[in-house]
Amino acid sequence: MADEGVANHYQVLEELGRGSFGVVYKGIDKTTGETVAIKHIDLESSEDDIQEIQQEISVLSTCASSYVTQYRASFLRGHKLWIVMEYLGGGSCLDLLKPGNFSEVHLAIVCRELLLGLDYLHAEGKIHRDIKAANVLLSEAGKVKLADFGVAAQLTHMKSQRNTFVGTPFWMAPEVIQQAGYDFKADIWSLGITAIELAVGEPPYANIHPMKVLFQIPKNPPPRLEGKFSREFKDFVAHCLIKDPAQRPTARDLLRHRFIRTAGRVEALQELIERKQMWDAKQDRVKLPVFYQETLHTMSPKDDDDEWVFETIKSVALPKNPMNVDTTPTKSRDPSRVRETEEGMRRVHVRDGPLQPSTPQTVRKATVRRQPSAAAAHQQRRLSTSTGSPRPPVAAAKRPLQTDMSFGNSGSTMRLFRRVPSDHEGPKIHQERPQEVANDENRPPSAMQTPIEPTSKEALLGRRLYNKAIEPALEELHAQTGPSQKREALANLSDAFADLDLVDPEGAYHLLRHLLSSISQDNRLSAALLNASKISPGQHLHRKSVDGTPQSKNRDLNQRPSTSAGVTHSQNILQTPSRSPQKPVLSASPTKLMISQQNTPLASPRPRRESVVAAPLSTPKPAAERTSSSRPSSVMATAPGTPIHQIQQPQLIQPTPSPQKKEPQLLQQHSAPSLQKKENPPPLQQQLSHPVLQQEKQRREASSQQLAQQLQQQQQAQLQQAAHRRKESSNSSSHQLPPPQHHQRRESSQSSHASSRSPEKQERVRESSSRELRERAALEAKYPGQPAVAGMEHCKALSDLLYARWTDGLQHRWGAVAGS
Amino acid sequence: MSFLFGRARTRTNVSDLPRQAREHVVKLDQGPQGAAKVEELAKVLSQMKQLLQGTHEQEASPEQHYQLVTGMIEEDLLYLLAINLYRLPFDSRKDTQVIFSYVFRFRPPNAPARAEPLALAYVVERRPQVLIELCKGYDHKESAQHAGTVLKELIKSSEAATAVILHDDGDEPGSSARGVGAIDRNRKQSGNGIFWSFFEWIDRGSFEVAADAFTTFRELLTKHKDLIPHYLQTNFDLFFSKYNSILIQSTSYVTKRQSIKLLGEILLDRSNYNVMTAYVDRGEHLKICMNLLRDDRKMVQYEGFHVFKVFVANPHKSVPVQKILLMNREKLLHFLSHFLEDRTDDEQFIDEREFLIKQIRNMPPTPVVPQR
Repeated sequence: MADEGVANHYQVLEELGRGSFGVVYKGIDKTTGETVAIKHIDLESSEDDIQEIQQEISVLSTCASSYVTQYRASFLRGHKLWIVMEYLGGGSCLDLLKPGNFSEVHLAIVCRELLLGLDYLHAEGKIHRDIKAANVLLSEAGKVKLADFGVAAQLTHMKSQRNTFVGTPFWMAPEVIQQAGYDFKADIWSLGITAIELAVGEPPYANIHPMKVLFQIPKNPPPRLEGKFSREFKDFVAHCLIKDPAQRPTARDLLRHRFIRTAGRVEALQELIERKQMWDAKQDRVKLPVFYQETLHTMSPKDDDDEWVFETIKSVALPKNPMNVDTTPTKSRDPSRVRETEEGMRRVHVRDGPLQPSTPQTVRKATVRRQPSAAAAHQQRRLSTSTGSPRPPVAAAKRPLQTDMSFGNSGSTMRLFRRVPSDHEGPKIHQERPQEVANDENRPPSAMQTPIEPTSKEALLGRRLYNKAIEPALEELHAQTGPSQKREALANLSDAFADLDLVDPEGAYHLLRHLLSSISQDNRLSAALLNASKISPGQHLHRKSVDGTPQSKNRDLNQRPSTSAGVTHSQNILQTPSRSPQKPVLSASPTKLMISQQNTPLASPRPRRESVVAAPLSTPKPAAERTSSSRPSSVMATAPGTPIHQIQQPQLIQPTPSPQKKEPQLLQQHSAPSLQKKENPPPLQQQLSHPVLQQEKQRREASSQQLAQQLQQQQQAQLQQAAHRRKESSNSSSHQLPPPQHHQRRESSQSSHASSRSPEKQERVRESSSRELRERAALEAKYPGQPAVAGMEHCKALSDLLYARWTDGLQHRWGAVAGS
Repeated sequence: MSFLFGRARTRTNVSDLPRQAREHVVKLDQGPQGAAKVEELAKVLSQMKQLLQGTHEQEASPEQHYQLVTGMIEEDLLYLLAINLYRLPFDSRKDTQVIFSYVFRFRPPNAPARAEPLALAYVVERRPQVLIELCKGYDHKESAQHAGTVLKELIKSSEAATAVILHDDGDEPGSSARGVGAIDRNRKQSGNGIFWSFFEWIDRGSFEVAADAFTTFRELLTKHKDLIPHYLQTNFDLFFSKYNSILIQSTSYVTKRQSIKLLGEILLDRSNYNVMTAYVDRGEHLKICMNLLRDDRKMVQYEGFHVFKVFVANPHKSVPVQKILLMNREKLLHFLSHFLEDRTDDEQFIDEREFLIKQIRNMPPTPVVPQR
């Protein structure tokens, strides 16, 4: 699709109008000097398949008739599609209606021309499906042309019929509404309605809500043209509006109607255009033309991320790796930790405080080294787009003015900015998504300054306090907090503290000191806070959330599966309330359920608009979450990316090192792969053999209709085999590496847990998943052969469409009313 | 136009029309005379269309259709028209399109209901070149849409799709040149067959050509579950190297976006399970995909995400894939947590994103050899 240059053949002038999916500009074809209309469709804003737009083009491009707006060309320019059409200076019939209704003389001409257009289309096997005054355009000379083929259909067969429910309600033929199969005759009905519209100013039922109209039209007798109109005209309309499509005449038949045969020449329609111009002039509304402007590419908001690292070279970017946190505690304001624990805390300054004295520049240099400069990459990409270079250049053309070459992190051009404000209103609706709340890109980058080096003892302590206590505590709290407003407040607090720490660590120290002394002076406070903290450091953080759910983080549990409190996830409704703190967090069947969870997204390749059905199964999700928390416990301990426990819990309020802390350390001694092998198979075996789970498995397999299940089975088999093999082969060695007690404890806790899982919980799990399956089945029955689409989604899309069209129409009409 | 031929004349004409058409088509090449022939050919084609299509007043009769279809086969008119489609005038191209779609749908009245349409069976078994030439309609802007429409109808048939996909250059044994029966499905493609030209059409064509070619391409790759998985496995390297380098990296926004989406559809199709696992094992595929996430166009990012999720969700990630993910773990976690944040009403997406974050976070610190 290399036709970027074609756009230069056109000079784009002022805006003519805006449609539902694009702006139409007046333009000049530079090669011929001809005036054209150019529709710009922003494909980025269109979620739909580009195929739908392509459909319109293909219908248009196969039309060659003087009664249909002539299609010239279409091409891509970036992510905008330009459709070049003939320019029609007279405007639409709806515009021309504003000064007043059409006279019968004019009406007869318009109707005849429309019939000629329809006759052409119908002979071509095309149905327009949206005939109305707004879609009838006039040239300056008065020629009448059909426009807007957005919903037009191309029939492959003359006798074939359509069922699709499209059009605009007021103009829709009864058979279209009833979806009983319709053909060309539907356009004739719409023509009749359009004739009424032009004669009286609006279609029948215009004062009724369009959704109600959908019931009225098939139910009521066809609308009649009332008032002082000629008998011929009334008869013509009556013929168009015969409810039975078989009785309704064709376009060709109607061309022989008396009303049409007596119609005059199209030039007479110029009177309508002049009338409109006069009317416009009288409105003394100064209509400043909106001129086309090439979209200016704003600088994309910087992101501190560089490109992905695909080389094995450990670059200077390493300092970002929180592994260093422990070794350099004074400078361990590691932002990535914040990110990593809490996706939502956008406002926590991810850029402030370089970890090492090394400046950000060096970090960048290090990554850039692999690729001399982004500009060069750009060059290289231009030269060889399809060579498949090892690091494939993907970003679109960089703008010359763009200084930030950090690989196009943010979305396209200006939209990102435009949409941000609306996101701030989000939290009310989407409670569980904190990203929106903390999403302020226009915030002044106050924290860009480098942190001051603490010099005094107090300052050092203050920084230490911040790093070791305040920040982890805030982070932890934030992670446990559900409601987005609270999260935001916390994030703000965290920000504020970060700022304080940057500028004045000493102040932070003094603040805390004062706080502590004040607390200790108050008996109740000190009893509640100071003593409690000495008792159970772990639980100190386990804050009760609003709904009384004890919430804690996975990490906790991973560290001490047998002691500490809490459960995995705040959204995990199934398990949260009833869990006793003593229970280790172990899932019923990690591997199995995890797979199905994974496949929820996988199984439905494009389920985006089908969220009702395709939303992740309620059953596997909690299980999978549990899984993800429980499975890699050993892994977590050694993972460089998750060092929180090392600073966080122990340091915070714990007076003595906890016995649990040894556990991760023990594990750390072994290499991770071997740990994996050790840790995984035994639980798996156990779980698979559990009768309840077997049952569950069978049920699932029986009802499997998805890739999910397919995958699951295959992998299950593989895993089972692998597990067997490993067990046989490495029975002896399996006890060497991990500390035996630990291993056994895990096992026993697992089994106890598995057996102690309450039956009703299992029941619930099963119930919800079977409900889900039933729904799916019902949907599939409803739309056989198609991927299950939720019925309500369909309705919503439809009503949205209808509503949009309705309001469009109303706006036009109110304008007309106000004017006359 | 129906008044042109009365009933009596029509009967005599029917078997004659294909012959006339052939005579005109053959002479198209012959310089100045060709121009005159174009008009005559246009007339004949228009008559043939009328005959097949019927008019609002007059139904077409099956006997006439039968005569016409067999006549066209005898005269090899399908092939000749396919080759010359782009030179015909606007209306004749449309007429030809209509003729093709009627002819390829025609079943003799006494034939069993499930039998292949007559002309389709003939083309697939004896004259696959017709299909190849229809594909080549994408070489010309004029014929692309008309040939494409016919083609899209035809490749609904599994045999026709096979003939297109397994076509290879020359008359080598195993190519589809000798009809579907002679095809060797296990033969590796040389990359010169007609199917590989689609990559060029999609990447290089003007918007209309590229878009139509892509639709056909997608139909070919998604509609035939008996054919495609095996084909993709046999030609895995060739196909995906072309797919990645030409389509995914295309400079055209539409090509890029659509091909990423199609890639996701292919990988997530149940029948392509083995293809998917092979695809997501490759580190370089993941690299491409991760770069898509950083494209500066949101819909490209979004489509890229739906491929990326397959890599991450794969429970048996290969070592290279794990390495890349681990090397970028922090970046990914940060990146994903802010990824397409304004998609607030897309719950499915949000859930999937959360899931990926969780998966990446919980990865073991060093690559683990997948247990399979």
